[in-house]
Amino acid sequence: MPGKTPDKEPVENGGYRGGKDMTDKDLKPKGKKASKKDGDDEMTVVVPPSKASKQSSVPPPNDAEGDVVMDDAEKAAEGEVKADPFAQSVSDIKSNFALLDRAIALFDARFTLRALRSISSIRKRLTPDILAQAISETYSSSSASANLAKQMLHAIGRPNVSLGRQSGPEMEIDSEPKAVSKNSAKKEFKEVIPEVDVFLGILTQVALHDSKQFQQGFEFSHSLVDRIRSVNRRTLDSLSAKVYFYYSLFAEQLAPLPPSSQSPVVSIRPTLLAALRTAVLRKDVDTQASVIVLLLRNYLLTSHISQADLLVSHTQFPENAANNQVARFLYYLGRTRAIQLRYTEAHEHLTAATRKAPSSPCALGFSQTATKLLLVVELLMGDIPDRATFRQPGNETALHPYFLLVQAVRVGNLEDFETIIAEHADTFRRDGTYTLILRLRQNVIKTGIRMMSLSYSRISLRDICIRLHLGSEESAEYIVAKAIRDGVIEATLDRERGFMKSKEVGDVYATREPGEAFHDRIRACLALRDESVKAMRFPMNQHRLELKNAQEAREREREMAKEIQEGDLDEDDLGGEFEGM
Amino acid sequence: MAERELTDLLRHLKSNPSADYASTSALLSRAKLLLLQLNALTPSASTPPHLLALARETYEQGALASIRAKNPDAFTRYVAQLRPFYEQLQQTSNTSNEEVGERNKITGLYLLLLLTQGLYGEFHSELEALATTAAGTTAGAGGAGAAAAATLGGRRPSVDVEGDRYLGYPIRLERWLMEGSYDRVWKAMKKGEVPCEEFGVFSEILTSQIRSEIASSSERAYPSLPLSSTKSLLFLESEGAVVEFARSRGWTIRDGQIYFPSTQDTGEEEQEKEFSQMVIENTLGYARQLETIV
Repeated sequence: MPGKTPDKEPVENGGYRGGKDMTDKDLKPKGKKASKKDGDDEMTVVVPPSKASKQSSVPPPNDAEGDVVMDDAEKAAEGEVKADPFAQSVSDIKSNFALLDRAIALFDARFTLRALRSISSIRKRLTPDILAQAISETYSSSSASANLAKQMLHAIGRPNVSLGRQSGPEMEIDSEPKAVSKNSAKKEFKEVIPEVDVFLGILTQVALHDSKQFQQGFEFSHSLVDRIRSVNRRTLDSLSAKVYFYYSLFAEQLAPLPPSSQSPVVSIRPTLLAALRTAVLRKDVDTQASVIVLLLRNYLLTSHISQADLLVSHTQFPENAANNQVARFLYYLGRTRAIQLRYTEAHEHLTAATRKAPSSPCALGFSQTATKLLLVVELLMGDIPDRATFRQPGNETALHPYFLLVQAVRVGNLEDFETIIAEHADTFRRDGTYTLILRLRQNVIKTGIRMMSLSYSRISLRDICIRLHLGSEESAEYIVAKAIRDGVIEATLDRERGFMKSKEVGDVYATREPGEAFHDRIRACLALRDESVKAMRFPMNQHRLELKNAQEAREREREMAKEIQEGDLDEDDLGGEFEGM
Repeated sequence: MAERELTDLLRHLKSNPSADYASTSALLSRAKLLLLQLNALTPSASTPPHLLALARETYEQGALASIRAKNPDAFTRYVAQLRPFYEQLQQTSNTSNEEVGERNKITGLYLLLLLTQGLYGEFHSELEALATTAAGTTAGAGGAGAAAAATLGGRRPSVDVEGDRYLGYPIRLERWLMEGSYDRVWKAMKKGEVPCEEFGVFSEILTSQIRSEIASSSERAYPSLPLSSTKSLLFLESEGAVVEFARSRGWTIRDGQIYFPSTQDTGEEEQEKEFSQMVIENTLGYARQLETIV
């Protein structure tokens, strides 16, 4: 939504994923090792032996580059960075192909995620030239996906780069000539796997987005989406989620901007819905989660609240979706609920969203936006947000208007409240909280009345009317009566003499309030525990090991039984054995 | 051919708004048949604009007629049918006042209907959409510069929503209802304040709504009320009406004073019971959870 700057989102993604799996440091050596091994083995074994014959998809120069990366890395470690940044970037891009390849071979989505995660680091140096170089080295002019490659080149404005170009001379370091010569004897370029196609496609999208060529990007994304839809591969799942993400990002940036119902955002809905359908059928959690989020965002951009509500009620958000998708989903859901006046739900969702938001500074935009909305919802619920929220570094300036707002509501000063709204109307509108804030008026009045009731044991309606700047005494009477009914204050009205008499405030500990607060906290703790249990990851095939152990145990037991029968074992040993099991 | 007949029908519909519902609905269904012939029952990109306008007017007349006939279901249906027309209207951005036609009036009526039915969630969803549509049209009219400024869904000021005669009315009513200024609501429903006669239809429902609101808050707020001032409090015409109303809510009247049945005493014990039940339930729940953890 508005405040959430799209530019930040992809970064958010990267930032988050880095946190979830393993850190980059853990990964790099592995990747390097893999490619080094390939180089040493002189192409006979391309990553996993099982699939090598069938796919052998790593393009020849790639492996050599694996070495280059390593060399560079080593050099960097020594403190003399000599590598040409251009070549370095190209090889960085291509080092990911190996990861994608392994993802297919081992059928493990984590490798794909790793490749995707590297996008954010590549992104900083990505230029059309680098990308064109990478593309041209990857595809031969005769390969099946040459068409797509040409599209990519066209999209980034380098239509003249020919496909099948060899790596530049600067790349040729010791091992390479060998590899190339060996390979060219067979065939120069092997068929490129669709994953690599899509990966390069995503890079193209990123490049176009960063250079603000939205129209180009939209058209290219459209064809890329078509391409994805034509291939049915589970290993593409997380990649396609990303493609849809950029697709809709481009649509948002195009000419009739979102609030208008003519915006291209509306036109991509059928595509997204179709993608959602397919994703659900294929149990493709990544795409499912990201497309649901995109659709929600899409509906909210054009203020189709009821559609968003229907979407939520008719779909089930995948439980094991990536954390940042969950955060976004919760944010949009909270927003929908806030507009529908379902504040309690909204509060729950938004709290979860702010907590799940990645804490890295690159996702600051998201957490700010979510916090803003959360603050307003808290105010609407009659709570006063914690002051510490406003003190968080990085949030201070962004939240300042909200800080003033909270102050006005807390004091119950209607006049201040109105001036703050008028002063910061533009900010609130940009954040999309304006209409919600307008609803706060009644809360301000209620707080004002509560303050009065706490300070005076008896006050005339006329005074209330003057202090709270209400229209008339009659208004004041109705408002106070309503406040009493809603349980805001404990008081009675005297109509004849026109005053409000506050009741003695009872002992809070005699009410059910402490019990409820206690219950809430315990519930939160229990939920936290349950979630952490659920979030634990267990290594694959561990259960087989356990089975094996169990079998061994059973055998031991049998032996023991035998020994008991033979009378060799006494009770003590038996007890020990049981514990061991 | 069919087009001319439709225009005639519409003119006829517009000229006598006070015609009874039966005859109007007969005319309307004939108009809808004609629309079907013209292939303009639902809007599409290829429908010529003048037909779109005709179709829109037909539905608008239908909506107004059903409001006059106090038929909320039919009105909601017409509003639903009108919605795609209005969305398309928005797309041809430079809409003059004439083209907008009865849009604001219909939307205002719809908002009021939602309000009287107590569907506040829908009311606010609709309002949110209005705020953004208004923003969308201003951005469109402002040209490229405004569009660029409105990047990232930045909303242009939508002053006209609240300032509009038809749209502002339900919005103000909602605000007053929410904060409890029932006297202002009452004043707004008097003759002369209502933007047009169709809005007056809702006054009756609103009056009984605020009356019951006031009654329920009075029950809690006052220990007792003199009969005479209750009349003005509840906006009733005579003391007789007050007595009748008091009886319908089960209030007792003694010596010109109204006493409210105290709801608290009866509920106390039950509440206590409920509370202890809750405590027991919670504690058992904790015990069970602890067992699974340890």
